[in-house]
Amino acid sequence: MISFRSTEEELTFIQVAKNLAKEKIRPIARLSEEEGMVNEAFIQKMSELGLLSMDVPESWGGLQLPLISQVQILQALSYGDLGVIQGLRGLGDFGNLLSLLADNPILTSYKEQLLEHGKTVALVDIEHEEQNIKLTEQGNFYVVNGTSHPVRFAKFADFVVVAGNNSEGQTVILWLDSNNGNQWDVEEGDYRLGLLCSGLASLTFNNLQVSKDHVLISGEKATEIMAKARVRNRILQAAKEVGLMEAALEYATEYTANRKAFGQEIAKFQGVSFRIADMAIETKIANHLVWSAALKADEDESSADHYSLRALYRAHRSLRFVTDSAVQLLGGHGYVQEFPVEKWMRDAQAQTMLYGRERDLLIQYGEHILAEGIEVLNL
Amino acid sequence: MISFELSEQQKQIKEMTHWFAENEIRPIAMEADRLGKVPDEWLDNVNKMGIHLNTSSFGGGEKKSSSSKKKRENEGNRMGVIATEEMAWGDPAVALSLPGAGLGGPPIQSSGTPEQKERFLSIFTKDEPKWGAYALTEPEAGSDASAVQTTAKKVDGGYILNGQKIFITNGGRASWVVAFATVDRSLGRAGQRAFVVEKGTNGFSCSKLSKKMGLRANETAELLFEDCFVPDENLLGGEQLYKVDQSKPSGFQVAMKTFDSTRPIVAAMAIGIARAAYEYTLDIVKKEFPRQGRSYFLAAELLAEAEQDIEAARLLTWEAAWKADLGIPNAKEAAMCKAYAGQMSLDVCSKCLELLGPVGLNGHLVEKLYRDVKVFDIFEGTNQVQHLVIARRLYEPYGIRV
Repeated sequence: MISFRSTEEELTFIQVAKNLAKEKIRPIARLSEEEGMVNEAFIQKMSELGLLSMDVPESWGGLQLPLISQVQILQALSYGDLGVIQGLRGLGDFGNLLSLLADNPILTSYKEQLLEHGKTVALVDIEHEEQNIKLTEQGNFYVVNGTSHPVRFAKFADFVVVAGNNSEGQTVILWLDSNNGNQWDVEEGDYRLGLLCSGLASLTFNNLQVSKDHVLISGEKATEIMAKARVRNRILQAAKEVGLMEAALEYATEYTANRKAFGQEIAKFQGVSFRIADMAIETKIANHLVWSAALKADEDESSADHYSLRALYRAHRSLRFVTDSAVQLLGGHGYVQEFPVEKWMRDAQAQTMLYGRERDLLIQYGEHILAEGIEVLNL
Repeated sequence: MISFELSEQQKQIKEMTHWFAENEIRPIAMEADRLGKVPDEWLDNVNKMGIHLNTSSFGGGEKKSSSSKKKRENEGNRMGVIATEEMAWGDPAVALSLPGAGLGGPPIQSSGTPEQKERFLSIFTKDEPKWGAYALTEPEAGSDASAVQTTAKKVDGGYILNGQKIFITNGGRASWVVAFATVDRSLGRAGQRAFVVEKGTNGFSCSKLSKKMGLRANETAELLFEDCFVPDENLLGGEQLYKVDQSKPSGFQVAMKTFDSTRPIVAAMAIGIARAAYEYTLDIVKKEFPRQGRSYFLAAELLAEAEQDIEAARLLTWEAAWKADLGIPNAKEAAMCKAYAGQMSLDVCSKCLELLGPVGLNGHLVEKLYRDVKVFDIFEGTNQVQHLVIARRLYEPYGIRV
């Protein structure tokens, strides 16, 4: 049955998240960006509320919420500020893998450290884009060599997960612990665009020898798990983008309802009001496509991959349009840092650069359409 | 809980209407376009099957059941958009030409007296095809529906109508039309009334059928009212509906109210057309394009954009229909789905024609669909009017009227 109604439980979570967004997240956004990190006390609070363990399996004491619930809550949180949400140190993008590897003995041995706030994991997904990193098998070791693209939490990472193909084309997922002999260099770089409190940096591995004891999983199962983790990550990232769009839309609507020019509120000019209407349409479309993908992923359907590509592509595209429009509608005020929209536009652009090239996502899912036997359009 | 899965009943409706669209409608699509009409014999046959176009699913908010049984959730609007998408997928011009109350149905359903509903809606039987129509637009009143100039002068026993209507779907063949006229222009919207004018009434005629870019098989009529007498019992809703009272709608409001239920239906049609173009083109691309190289990636990109635009529009439409089913005000969502579907459907057809290349000019369905679909961004409220409706709803909390 077609329905757009959240469950009571979801509504309760969403309300908590929305209140946090307005009262706690939004006020710390600028300072967090200036300091390059979100303050520890706030992260602790988020952890206590369970909002950092939505994806964590129940066997680990997490909430293990279905994706359809997670996306709604993330939307509500990101409505506060995407930069802060992306700066909440902890499992980060690795959370998607953890949810699929809960029984893994290596991870289980790190359970206490991981669940303690402040222990942070950076994920380097080599296959995600062409990166200058190689994984080579040498006897009882894997050798990791090269420099990653910038990833979230690289500056803060206590642990690094490297996922990629070895020279034989087999997927390998490695667990690196800096306290256990695994070293990496953090290439700090010059980051100015956005998501500046998420610890963006490249990680360099200088022929790092990693014992096979640190292999979380390899082979066909690893390929399958990475594919699922990517699907989940796309959907969750897209959900955060929807939250930011909602913030930008609301802010621009209120501003234009009050700002006067030529003797009237600028909302009364159709060039302004029609743009607001388009922003609302794009936000809603992205929202629907995210929900659609989340529902498929929760059912573990093969089409979830297709739907996740579509959701993230459209979220990126709509996000750029909505945040750019918000700056445009605020005019000069939109450009200066006294108002939040310029930060949101910068964060938005950084977000779309970190998580898949738009055109590439689109073509990947276009190739799904052209392949034989793929169900499209819910026929 | 949130769900985009069709229920069993919805799946059945979709399958049935799709079967009809594929096997009965689509085969006559190109020929009907060439002829500029749907063959009478075909209309007669489908009428005997009892097939009508559902242009309204107006069910939310109607009289409550007094039964003590647990009330099932109304699904009429969702069913309506699902079925209509399939019909339009078959062919939009043929779908709009199906017998039935058509766009005239919703105002009678929502504002007619019980006697009027019975009198006007019971004529659509299997005996012979009949139509209803909705006559609002005039040469000087399109988007600005409040500028209607057709006059209705009160006389003993009824009203005398004078004026002209244009762009009326099925206006010439309709057994009755719901026509909007003003009893006093100086009152603006408050002066508007809705009348049911029956075919054959003295002074009521169809002056012309328009030739169009698309939807050529569907009749678009110009209607003339020349001292046309309409009895009191044909004033839609009766006099009491229009008594000056903030809580009662004017004729203008009767006209506008129906849009919240017809806009999702029209959006669904645009989606059906876009989907038809997309599937037709996808089929050709899969069979004839190379599997690598520039054309392959071009096709992947264009078809991917088309597919997600279609799904985006569909989900907007489903949300509007869902709200209508639950009796939740849906003016914003109805306008959103109509605006987006109207715009994206032409874009999808255009992308498909790009992929087909010059070959697409010659006897392929998609060029006809392109010509057909353009009007979906215009009628039932232009894209610009939809934006105005959306913007108004967005600014309402701030006390701004845009």
